[in-house]
Amino acid sequence: MNMEGSSLLVNINVLFFAKSRELAKTSRAEFTVESVIKAGNLLNQLIDSFNLNTISNNLIIAHNENYIENLDTEIHLHKGDEIAVIPPISGG
Amino acid sequence: MIAAAADSFEVEKAKLCRKIAELQAALNAKDQKLRELQTRADNYGAEDEVQFAPRDKHEALSNDDIARYSRQLILTDFGVSGQLKLKNSAVLIVGMGGLGCPAAQYLASAGCGNLGLVDYDQVERSNLHRQTLHTVSRCGMSKAESARIALLELNPHCRIICHSHLLNSFNAMHIIRAYDVVLDCSDNVATRYLLNDACSMLQRPLVSGSALKLDGQLTVYCYGEHGPCYRCIYPVPPPPEAVTNCGDGGVLGAVTGTIGAMQALEAIKVIVGFGDVLAGRMLIFDGNSCQFRNIKIRGKRPNCHLCSAQPLITGLIDYELFCGMNANDKDNALQLLGPEQRIKVLDYHNLVAQTVPHLLLDVRAPAEFEICQLPDATNVPLAQILDDSYIQRFAEQLKNKQYPIFVVCRRGNDSQIAVQHMKARFPDHSIRDLEDGLHGWTKLVDQNFPIY
Repeated sequence: MNMEGSSLLVNINVLFFAKSRELAKTSRAEFTVESVIKAGNLLNQLIDSFNLNTISNNLIIAHNENYIENLDTEIHLHKGDEIAVIPPISGG
Repeated sequence: MIAAAADSFEVEKAKLCRKIAELQAALNAKDQKLRELQTRADNYGAEDEVQFAPRDKHEALSNDDIARYSRQLILTDFGVSGQLKLKNSAVLIVGMGGLGCPAAQYLASAGCGNLGLVDYDQVERSNLHRQTLHTVSRCGMSKAESARIALLELNPHCRIICHSHLLNSFNAMHIIRAYDVVLDCSDNVATRYLLNDACSMLQRPLVSGSALKLDGQLTVYCYGEHGPCYRCIYPVPPPPEAVTNCGDGGVLGAVTGTIGAMQALEAIKVIVGFGDVLAGRMLIFDGNSCQFRNIKIRGKRPNCHLCSAQPLITGLIDYELFCGMNANDKDNALQLLGPEQRIKVLDYHNLVAQTVPHLLLDVRAPAEFEICQLPDATNVPLAQILDDSYIQRFAEQLKNKQYPIFVVCRRGNDSQIAVQHMKARFPDHSIRDLEDGLHGWTKLVDQNFPIY
């Protein structure tokens, strides 16, 4: 795992919706990650760890129910924070 | 003896009932064709006239309105002015399926004055568990027509215009222009981008709902100065292999019903102008845990190809090409295997009749296998083929290259994927798939084998 500076590791909860739940084979997982991390780096780690490659360009990533707009921003994670992975659904 | 006779009566009865249902559906389809031809011949272009006839502008409620809408009229936020706005409004619903039916039902019964219904498809039995406006007796009829009949029974004061054809890049702007609000109740990615682009260009709020399995999503695009469009959130379409339709993934009617009803609610709020419209937020519904999450999504993307100050897309494009998928939710027949790697269901049937020893792998999901299966089939879900865990399980049979292995699925698509994968590992083994799968079996071998 890529350690960014001296930032600590924290346990966060990752929630998977729709197609991402199928690919990750779970609706919720605990994930250990650096507490200060670039959003893009976090996304890449999730894609690799949870088999999300096929939908890597079609995801909403939300941190505590807030959309992560810019993958270059640094986010600060606390123990128990929620990251939601939301691909689009097209059925009706 | 008596029991046996009663049994055969039952079988005969079931056969006749099925035959009558099929004939009824065929009759409805013919009726539909006739109606379309008649309309076209009688007054060519009538749809346009109806659509663009000046809408009646209502200044007051009738006594019937007051009695009918009394329970919502007494809502402080809604009131007489809200009812009048609704009465003077025009809403376009695209897709008269699991989302469109409940949405249309609530909009018509709430007193929306003009409703446009878009759907190119016909009512089928497998629609009825979630598409609540259609009925058994209207199988084979156009979905828009069928919904219109149901809606007029609910509220004869609603003017309903049917657009019983596929919405595409050529007709979308023309149709949408006549409406104030659009509901995306469609079932495919291409139509979602088409609706988004047209609504953004015409500045029409787009109430977008979607559902699959037990999941639902809802948001309003193209609303207000800062509201994002679909492309702001999803700039590129997902790859076709990552898209599941309701026919393959399944869906529960109460889930589409939940989202569809909320689409009607958001449309009413947009029209009447009360409350906080669900723009810049997305509602995520997980029916499994019955949890609603409200995710704050972004505003307009500053470099959006469509709705930013410098758009790259200024006219509608070819959305099937852009998405690499058809603008419907039907599966296409794959062509992955050559004829020597496939067997016709009738030929397989003959092999079975001659009791030729073989292995038949059914690669459907266990829930589907439970619905129906061929007598000799072993359930090995496609995932177990693709991750090679089948090799250990069938090590014995795989020792002999000549031992015939057949693969079957519902329609003959996944079985091809499976054979292709197995053949890469065992090029000289006799591995073939059943052409047209279980649907082919029902059609050509056993009419009593269930179809889903």
